[in-house]
Amino acid sequence: MEDQMRSLLRRLVRRIPSQVLKVTLKKWGRLTAAQQQNIDSTPTKWALTDQLLAISEENGWTVRHVAELEMIYVIDKPNQGMWHTLRLVDPNSDAQTVDLIQFKEQFKSHLSEISRHVSVKMKKNADEAVWIRIAWGDSFSRPNNMKPTYVVHYLQTPYVFVTRLTSKKKPLLYQSLVRATRHRAIKDANLSGQNLSAIRDLLMQHYQQVFPGRYPSPLGERTQITSNPHVDQEQAEEGVKRLQMACEAFGAGKLPQLQSVVYKMETKFKDPKNQRMTQREEPFRCVVTFKSSNILESLRHCAASGIASTPLTPLLSSIPRKGSNYFVVTDNIPRAASQVSQQPN
Amino acid sequence: MWNSVERTPNSVIQSSSKGRSYQQSYQTLMAASHLCLTRARTSLRLNIKRRAPKLDDFIDKVNPHHLESLMKREWQLSYVTPLYRFRYTQLKSYARQLSAFMAAEKQQGLAVEVGGTLCFSVSFSVVHGLVGTDIDAEAILIEIYSKSLFTSQDECQKTVWTGWLACVNGNPDYINSLPKEFVCLPLFGSSGTEALTALVKLWFQKNFDCCFGLLEISNTSLQWLVALWTNCHTDSNVKQLKMIWTLPVEPLLHVTYAVNPTDAWELWRTIRRDPPQAVEEDDIIHIDEVIRLMKGLLCQFYRHFKVDLSAGSLSHVSTALGTAKCSGKIKISNSKCMSTTLTMLTECALFKMPI
Repeated sequence: MEDQMRSLLRRLVRRIPSQVLKVTLKKWGRLTAAQQQNIDSTPTKWALTDQLLAISEENGWTVRHVAELEMIYVIDKPNQGMWHTLRLVDPNSDAQTVDLIQFKEQFKSHLSEISRHVSVKMKKNADEAVWIRIAWGDSFSRPNNMKPTYVVHYLQTPYVFVTRLTSKKKPLLYQSLVRATRHRAIKDANLSGQNLSAIRDLLMQHYQQVFPGRYPSPLGERTQITSNPHVDQEQAEEGVKRLQMACEAFGAGKLPQLQSVVYKMETKFKDPKNQRMTQREEPFRCVVTFKSSNILESLRHCAASGIASTPLTPLLSSIPRKGSNYFVVTDNIPRAASQVSQQPN
Repeated sequence: MWNSVERTPNSVIQSSSKGRSYQQSYQTLMAASHLCLTRARTSLRLNIKRRAPKLDDFIDKVNPHHLESLMKREWQLSYVTPLYRFRYTQLKSYARQLSAFMAAEKQQGLAVEVGGTLCFSVSFSVVHGLVGTDIDAEAILIEIYSKSLFTSQDECQKTVWTGWLACVNGNPDYINSLPKEFVCLPLFGSSGTEALTALVKLWFQKNFDCCFGLLEISNTSLQWLVALWTNCHTDSNVKQLKMIWTLPVEPLLHVTYAVNPTDAWELWRTIRRDPPQAVEEDDIIHIDEVIRLMKGLLCQFYRHFKVDLSAGSLSHVSTALGTAKCSGKIKISNSKCMSTTLTMLTECALFKMPI
């Protein structure tokens, strides 16, 4: 037990940059004033590690304490690792009335029923998100605190975000979530990324939306490039139209930082110049991946500059509308891959 | 909207084809935008026709150990001007000289590696058979090994840097026009740290009065590789045809277009047979076919996404047979394609020659 605490603490200190660690410790509040002052004045990482180990012995910390500290860090800096989105479907009639205490109790009890030796920590954040840290064990071993799963759920919404969940433990978590939130099923929402704030903002539409207007209005943020005034005159109207349509599809201002979108294409090949290939029965299979530091902004710029023809194809405008970044496209209707049994990694 | 110095949409200026017996060619817009000095000696152009990779081009001619060395690494390409008084009989002496040069530079304080107890030994060897025609100079393989001063003699040395110089199917007019003392090995590949590569280049520059320059792989060459590698699918499974385009938007957008190899091969087959060609032309691929392949792929893309990929630039091509990046990095994973790929790269290198 002691060893686990020390190795967990050591790993945590190694992972977190010194400055951030000092701030996190202060936030945690389990150090005395003198100890905190000591920590603040320690310059090097290895000295910091030694100090913290000494303090942990002094204060008699256990694994649970260190897990608490880790949780505070992850809540503060969630944009690491790969987050996957889940969606709760088929709510029961009393799903809307589930409150925080009820959810906490139900979740903990369900999970401990179906999984032995599991350690659960729950915390409600200021922004109404419920954070859950799960350390999994089994019949033969104690909970493994080195590889915890983190779950984020916004009560009253059907969305759940998960990171670091192995496929073995998936059914256990899914079942507990479904029971605790009074829904009937849960499925993959096909939206994943490293940036939790981005995928959350995209799903909950926490960015500046632009609605179709009858009269095109010049949107403030467009930077005019000085060029031939005749060209400008010709292109001005077209440019404004393109920009308007681009913003309607993706939003205006700052957009959530989604980093990749994947389309699995299984449509037939069609080219009027190549009849032989067009007549082929089998689909032309390919996988198209768009990658950028901010996909939505790149695509908006593509539309505004004419690289992407406007009005935008539903394949691209589905990204913010459906809140998904993995699509399977077949010849019938392009749809988000919620019905496909094979899920991407 | 985007910087005019950046790559503009690709457009190919094509000359009318007169017949197979003429070696006609053209200059691409891409090449023109980089280095466009008129050459006094020759009128080098890029080929519009290439021989499709045949089975086992180099396998029976080149030492398998050398082939393996060439296939397992990714190379950074440069072009080299002809070497003055390079003698194949003096390779051992060159190896010693380079080793001494590196030791001397290290003494002067040029940091080459972390930990100063390493000493380097160099080996120059001839790669017999890595040529296209009789007038091509034989390829050279250079390997730098490091050995800690504290290890014994029989402990095996670690290779820290590898490089090669080659000329495969070089333009005969150009090679024959060079004075007798010059050896033409225009293609240089290196794999290892930047510092060591710079040292080797410096040594060559000092001893053979040559100069090096970065060889970027143009859009057209990358498109050729798409066609050549797809063409090989029946002989050896390419597993996937992956192309990456970079679109000039803010922030930069990278589009990866990965096509199932069977479907890519079907598309290529329909292009090759349309119009139906005589059987003896089977192993000659024309640039027209390459353009039609790319147009077909882009058209399918546009049909779905309404995004014109040719507004950006093709920056990366990869299949199971190899990968190529526009920055001049290449990896050839299959000896079958080596001859055609090296021929194309030799052509690109000769094309960049400043004289």
